[in-house]
Amino acid sequence: MKFLEDIILKLGAVDRRFIFILIGLAVLIPLLTPISLPVRETPTTVKFYEGIESIPKNSKVLVSFDYGPSTRPEIHPMNVGVLRHLLRNGNTIYISCLWPDGIYMALDALEEITDEVNPDNKSTFNIKEYEDYILLGYRPGAEAVIKGLASDLRKVYTVDSKGRFIDDIEMMDDIKNLNDFAYIYSGSAGYPGTFEWVKYGGDPTGVPMSSGTTSVQVNEVIPYVQTGQLIGLLAGMPGAAEYEKLIAVPGIAIQGMAAQSFAHIVIVIFIVFGNLAFFIKQRRDRKY
Amino acid sequence: MLLKRYIPVAIVAFFGALTLSAWFIDNETIETFANDDATQFFDIIAAFAVFLGALNLLKLQFIKVLKQQSEWQYSAIAIASFFFAFIIGFFIRGAFFVGEDVYFSQQAAEEAVVAMNSSDTVRPVDWGAHVQTDGSLFQWMFKYIFSPLSATMFALLAFFVASASFRAFRARNLEASLLLIAGIIIMLGRVPVGSLISSWLIMYIIAFSVGFGVNAYTRNRNMALGWVLGSFGLITGLGFTMGWPIDQPAIFYLPALQEWIYLVPNLAGSRAILIGIGLGIVATSLRYIFGLEKSYLGE
Amino acid sequence: MDFSAILGAWIAAFLTLGIFSYLYKDNPFYKIAEHVFVGVSAAYVAAISFWTQIYPNLFGRLFPKDGPLSFTGLEFDFNHEFNILYLFPLILGLMMLLSVFQQFNWMARWGIAYTVAIAAGLKAFGYLNSNVLNQVKASSVDLFSGSLPFFSLGGDSVFNNIVLVIGTISSLMYFYFSKEQTGNFGRFTRLGIYFLMVSFGASFGFAVMGRISLLIGRFNDLIDYSSPDYNYATFYVLLFIIIVLGFWSFKNREK
Repeated sequence: MKFLEDIILKLGAVDRRFIFILIGLAVLIPLLTPISLPVRETPTTVKFYEGIESIPKNSKVLVSFDYGPSTRPEIHPMNVGVLRHLLRNGNTIYISCLWPDGIYMALDALEEITDEVNPDNKSTFNIKEYEDYILLGYRPGAEAVIKGLASDLRKVYTVDSKGRFIDDIEMMDDIKNLNDFAYIYSGSAGYPGTFEWVKYGGDPTGVPMSSGTTSVQVNEVIPYVQTGQLIGLLAGMPGAAEYEKLIAVPGIAIQGMAAQSFAHIVIVIFIVFGNLAFFIKQRRDRKY
Repeated sequence: MLLKRYIPVAIVAFFGALTLSAWFIDNETIETFANDDATQFFDIIAAFAVFLGALNLLKLQFIKVLKQQSEWQYSAIAIASFFFAFIIGFFIRGAFFVGEDVYFSQQAAEEAVVAMNSSDTVRPVDWGAHVQTDGSLFQWMFKYIFSPLSATMFALLAFFVASASFRAFRARNLEASLLLIAGIIIMLGRVPVGSLISSWLIMYIIAFSVGFGVNAYTRNRNMALGWVLGSFGLITGLGFTMGWPIDQPAIFYLPALQEWIYLVPNLAGSRAILIGIGLGIVATSLRYIFGLEKSYLGE
Repeated sequence: MDFSAILGAWIAAFLTLGIFSYLYKDNPFYKIAEHVFVGVSAAYVAAISFWTQIYPNLFGRLFPKDGPLSFTGLEFDFNHEFNILYLFPLILGLMMLLSVFQQFNWMARWGIAYTVAIAAGLKAFGYLNSNVLNQVKASSVDLFSGSLPFFSLGGDSVFNNIVLVIGTISSLMYFYFSKEQTGNFGRFTRLGIYFLMVSFGASFGFAVMGRISLLIGRFNDLIDYSSPDYNYATFYVLLFIIIVLGFWSFKNREK
């Protein structure tokens, strides 16, 4: 027993670079040798999916890309999935960005799905700019932008991301402000993002909205889900994986779940091990 | 004092009160100004603040290089990188269209026209659109320089979280134990591997852990052993009776348990924090508007 | 794969592995990558802010096509009409830029004061409505109607609602520091602490989840760049960094 305790104590004082190597391997190995694990949908994701399904067909939906490359692995799969889901139901998409990097995330997402084949393998989305979607672009100002959109969109956007006048675009004819959208979705990584859309977009206008957030933000956002201010929620990469399963288009989120799972197991082992070493040391110090 | 103190305080009081009152006053002029123009002013000044930040950065790095302070060579790299990106952003269009294809320079686009024998003309992208165009030089810089750096800086945190889990997170008291247990349940329950862990394994682990508690409380190893063996026997009997379903009893099945923790006790704590933050923000905003808080002046 | 993509992949792999080299110890590769990040991000955000905001919304309103200031030779056609009010943000913005000089330091205060004013005015109502009123409304849960089961792990139930109400109130009470937290009040706030600890634990779990997801994203990119399409960029860059770092560590140890 003492021998085992000594080993645990020695391992508890190991150089932190070994810990880095272990966690790196725990993430890398499942990515190199893909393992399929069953993904189980959570109620908030199901609610999110049903919220998008309940949007009347051929509606106008505002999708906001409020994240950057640092949080792309979590939010990007969600946003791509949402675009697929909306386009499949014949909705037209209006893309705005509260983060400067969001514009490139939007371009990447559109590129991914532009020539994608529908699940029935019979047709492609073949989406066209200014018919199926419009990329309004990025505007700095955070909540001030949303407030402006809630009042008069043309004060915030006079031109789209390509420099075309908003007034010259047929898709924008019936859009004056946020009230003219059937649904608002924000893929958000922090400030500005979900909170600002709820406070200055969804709540004042009453337009139904939902969001996909990073795992770090989930706990702060969950009260909005329970009140109905958000219709469901996509919570981090696991949430994105659940959504990919629901829309039946597996992507990088589902592929990353094995790595995510193994890394979590390793961290739980670290916590248990670290505490074991702590208790053993504490007991020995008390004895002496 | 007038320029440095009283006018800024007056600006905050006037525009703060105007913006706040616009939520409540049904007057078109005030509403239009507060909702449209005032917010546009905010956006424009915020954009200038970004330039101020960049200028300050350059000032500090230049001072380091000119005075040859410690590690000034890296500051030179920072300055060079800044001007590289600045030139691409402000002086080079970086996007010339030939049909749907995009080329970084006019020359490359013209060569492509000749090579493809195309009848298309070379169309330069508009200034302003060049920072938001797919395939532009600015986007190349974003994709291969800014994006990897930004993403990797955050990804480093994964390693430090793992290191902290091993070396720092200790269950020193009941509160810390609650924190760690809730964290572990969420971490395992939210990922696919959590649904593969049988609820019976969790029951065995809980029974074993309680055995440690019995031992610590009674200081009687026989009693602790008796507890562990007894509870193991009970669980095993129950398991055989029920046929060892992986997700029953549901209260010990990690995905179901984490869902309950997530949507009930966790929600209660999060809601309290959200309400507290809301009240704090309202009070602080009113303090700014009434001129009681002047920290933005640097005082 | 065209040359710009391959070159970009090599640069991205170098910068990514340079940042990761910090895990070994602080070293020149990390410092180079860090300083490149600082320089490029400042210019990148400045460029985006100028071309998406100042250029169309400020210049477009002060120097519209055929506007009163078109005699200056400056015309920006963004479908705006001339609006003299926009001199205000221009002046404040220029004052902010002048504040980079020591003697004009105070000039930034006007611009900062304006942004503080708008933020305060917006946030006061926004937080009151969404964070306070709506959350308090949601705390009035169904306990006595009889339409809910007593306990349910997954959905609404009387027990869950009781826990929600007690948890919210006790956690809120913990933040009330105007009364000494002793006696029954102290016990109630202690219960609040337990709820807060569960909440922080959940936050910790989600934070770990988020960080691991970001690491998965980086590793996915490095795996992509290790393919023949990109001339095995990851492998060669990794080898280069390991060799140089090994030599550098050896030299430093000698010193």
